[in-house]
Amino acid sequence: MRMMGQNDSPVRKEFEDEALVHLDTLFNVALRLCGNASDAEDLVQDTVTKAYRAWDKYEPGTNCRAWLVTIMRNTFINQFRRESRRPTAVQFDTVEDVSVFESVQDRDPEGHFFHEIVDDEVKQAIQDLPVEFRIPVVLSDVEGMSYAEIAEILDLPVGTVKSRLFRGRRRLQQRLYEYALEMGYIR
Amino acid sequence: MSKAMPPPGGIDCCTVMQQLYEYIDGELDEQTVDQIRQHLEKCKRCMPRYDFEKAFLRFVGDQAHISAPPELRRKIFASLLEEEGNH
Repeated sequence: MRMMGQNDSPVRKEFEDEALVHLDTLFNVALRLCGNASDAEDLVQDTVTKAYRAWDKYEPGTNCRAWLVTIMRNTFINQFRRESRRPTAVQFDTVEDVSVFESVQDRDPEGHFFHEIVDDEVKQAIQDLPVEFRIPVVLSDVEGMSYAEIAEILDLPVGTVKSRLFRGRRRLQQRLYEYALEMGYIR
Repeated sequence: MSKAMPPPGGIDCCTVMQQLYEYIDGELDEQTVDQIRQHLEKCKRCMPRYDFEKAFLRFVGDQAHISAPPELRRKIFASLLEEEGNH
């Protein structure tokens, strides 16, 4: 898609080769963070523009994907704060302590009910996670990043990433289970 | 299981459950991985829990991974050219 020709500047070409190869990752992360394609596209656009302006601060040979996602995370958090969206209400503090397995082991121990759940509901459930859980879950479970990479992006100790991931996943699991119960996928 | 018997893999159920996500995510050292694998192979309590969590994570990970829309790509390339013009 890139237009080759005499207009190619070395810096832009380097940015395209190193950074824009991660555009799909950026879009997928943005989509899960924002919950809709329109906001996701804006977030990707803002992220790429900021990254291009800061390209001289990127150290070649380091993890470019993590560098880009860090910029996206900061951009998203700032917008999120500005718009001061209401935080997700947490019903029970203990919701994360118990796996849904304990509730379904007699009826559906292999978790077949998950596959009855439509994509849109899963997207919504991810989007409804509090942001401190949502980002690690998206980076790990959608993008397959390691704990160390997520820790670098979020500027958190690996142990904190681990515990947020644990709690985020359990909340997501619980939410999908409640939805499946409501829809009659589990009896 | 008799109380005198060491737990399978030399690691107890509670510790296995605490590290289950790390095990699935491939975040543990080789020795711990071996211990947990041996435990899971023999433990009727932990194995179904492992299968369930794995199915859950696979399900979340299998959610459609989509390509950035061509229109967004086009806009981004256009904006980079514009940025370059501003330098």
